[in-house]
Amino acid sequence: MLKRIPLNRDQIQNLVREMPAERRTALETAFQSLRRYPLRTALTLLGLAFGVAALMATIALGRGAQGAIRDQVRAAGLNVIEITAGNYRTRGERPIGGVEAPTRHGAALPPGALERLLRKIEPVALAHPENDPMEKHDHPTAAERLGDSAAGLGAAATLTSDDAEAIASLSGVAHVASGIHESVRVFAGDRRWFTRLHGTDVDLVQIRRSFAMQHGRFFSSGELRRSSQVVVLGSVARDQLFGQNEDPVGREVTIWNQAFEVVGVVVSTNWMNPGAPGDDEFDAVYTPFTAVHRLLNATNLNSITVTAASSGRVTEVSRSITDLLRERHGIGETQADDFTVTTQASEVLGKGLHPKVAETLAGNIPNLERTTLRQLAATLERSSRTMSALLLAIALVSLIVGAIGISNVMLLSVRERIREIGLRMAVGAQTGDVGSQFLTESVLLGAAGGVLGVVIGAVAAVVVESSFGLAVEVSVVAGLISFVVALLTGVIAGVSPARRAARLDPIVALGSE
Amino acid sequence: MAAIEVRDLVKTYVLSETHRVEALRGLTLSVNKGEFLSVLGPSGSGKSTLMHILGCLDQPTSGEYRLMGRDVARLGNDERARIRNEEIGFVFQSFHLLARASALENVELPMLYGAKRPGREERRQKAAEALEAVRLSDRATHAPSQLSGGQQQRVAIARALANRPGLLLADEPTGNLDTRTGREILDTFARLNSERGLTVIMITHDRQVAQYASRSVELRDGRILTDEAISGNGATPGA
Repeated sequence: MLKRIPLNRDQIQNLVREMPAERRTALETAFQSLRRYPLRTALTLLGLAFGVAALMATIALGRGAQGAIRDQVRAAGLNVIEITAGNYRTRGERPIGGVEAPTRHGAALPPGALERLLRKIEPVALAHPENDPMEKHDHPTAAERLGDSAAGLGAAATLTSDDAEAIASLSGVAHVASGIHESVRVFAGDRRWFTRLHGTDVDLVQIRRSFAMQHGRFFSSGELRRSSQVVVLGSVARDQLFGQNEDPVGREVTIWNQAFEVVGVVVSTNWMNPGAPGDDEFDAVYTPFTAVHRLLNATNLNSITVTAASSGRVTEVSRSITDLLRERHGIGETQADDFTVTTQASEVLGKGLHPKVAETLAGNIPNLERTTLRQLAATLERSSRTMSALLLAIALVSLIVGAIGISNVMLLSVRERIREIGLRMAVGAQTGDVGSQFLTESVLLGAAGGVLGVVIGAVAAVVVESSFGLAVEVSVVAGLISFVVALLTGVIAGVSPARRAARLDPIVALGSE
Repeated sequence: MAAIEVRDLVKTYVLSETHRVEALRGLTLSVNKGEFLSVLGPSGSGKSTLMHILGCLDQPTSGEYRLMGRDVARLGNDERARIRNEEIGFVFQSFHLLARASALENVELPMLYGAKRPGREERRQKAAEALEAVRLSDRATHAPSQLSGGQQQRVAIARALANRPGLLLADEPTGNLDTRTGREILDTFARLNSERGLTVIMITHDRQVAQYASRSVELRDGRILTDEAISGNGATPGA
């Protein structure tokens, strides 16, 4: 059947000629009737077409939104497990398989306590001249050497690269990236920028799925092994040091009075997290952690970032990591972990506000960002589902209106053409001829309305995509579904008028005015 | 040979349990092939009912009806539709043309139905021939609204001839026309009757119109009152 899609007038006529005579008559008479009342036909068609277009656009928008959210959530990386050195968590958050540390400031905060806490902390934190980011130093500050947590809120650098290697050999672990995080001042010519430095592993690009290399490349495993002084700039850091969208690959920056060669620039592919000054991912620079270790004469890590082979294994993998690290760190049964394992899945969205605010105080900013991201994804998905449901409801209503339109027009047209029907019967039209003529008219309207609707819907979807920036996925399946729905609408809407026409008594029909 | 043989035809309309109308009360009539018969009668005489039954649009309550030798009194809807298509051509008082179709398309209409259903080309050709027969070839593409009343009725006659039926049934064919145009139509009937040997039955309430036929039957209260041949017309009287 598909092979014989009519291509020109002659072929269509041949197809019509090969049909059984009854069907041919129905098709011809239906076509004639539709052609003889162009305005009525066009209006009916439009009514249905808009219903179908709404359906089509709804499917496209719904699928587009789902796709976008899926991509964003995937980019946010729900199978990421973060192991940070030290253990200070807030009430309401439970370590996975570990023993909870005595909370330091997590107990349900009374109203106003937070403000008091902040007042207490801020002067202390900024009082030390070393902590003033605008102050120029010729040596790493304490915060830079030990990380924010160590300097301000008392983290312990209890993780080592051996821990990372041990974790890498666990089953279910896909990627492992060691992390040593410092706040540094980066110089490029006469420009300087105070930013985050992440000493990390080549695997990080696999872990951060929102990373894309705008220029150059990430550092290689060879450079990691050789502790090479190479650096990959986050897009924000690059903007500050070299100017918007400049390609700095091959140029040099200075960190800790040491020259680093720029090998690449990373940008975000995630529109929910495009990178902004002060963030941890793109207002940052990345170097091999081995280089950081060599320059700072350190062996410890602030964090280890792990991805599970699949998001279903996250809990299992984080449990085995906890067991492994407790064993390696010689932590007894009753002692608290000296590290923190955080999975994105383990954090429930409905948590109260206070623990989260406390979390900020604890300096766990990256974690908070991810929580926000995930909440955003969940909210987006919820609202997109609501929007899809709403649009679908609108589409269904329009379709029903379209169907009622067809049915109405057909019923009216039967009534209007009673004399014509009487005449057709007088000259020999049988019950079936009359019935199938009207049913065919309705089906033709349905089919034409369907085609028109699919086209309008696809165009509308594309227009919506380009002018409102909404994700849209126009698929063949959506088109087919919409067309079939239109066709069915035509069939269903035509049954009752066709039956009514076929049952007319020719004498009564001829005599009516 | 008789084109139509009707015996003891009764048609009773049951309007309610207590109210019945006896439109035909045992009518017997025989019409030969090639006759031009006029059926005369005032309204309520049963002439329309007779026309519906003769035209196979309706079934008699009782009695016999043979059309071209075939018993058609008890046929079902679709079989009667087939008979109408093949054996009978209708001409109505109000023409009954499809307003948005051309004269040619109107004439093609009967060929869309029935057993033969010729293809588009053949249909067009036969319709053109039928229009030729009523001398309207030059108006084939005109819509009914572009034609005069007489021309419209001639299109209707051409449509009635399209499937070459043996019987032409005309119901007050001149009722909507002025006298002169009406005469043209009647002349057309007479010509078709004499040239083609077409059996024509014309229903009218007008005595003068009835005189165009070769035989006139007058109805009164569902029965035949008079049945007489009319001499002096060019029409061929029944054998």
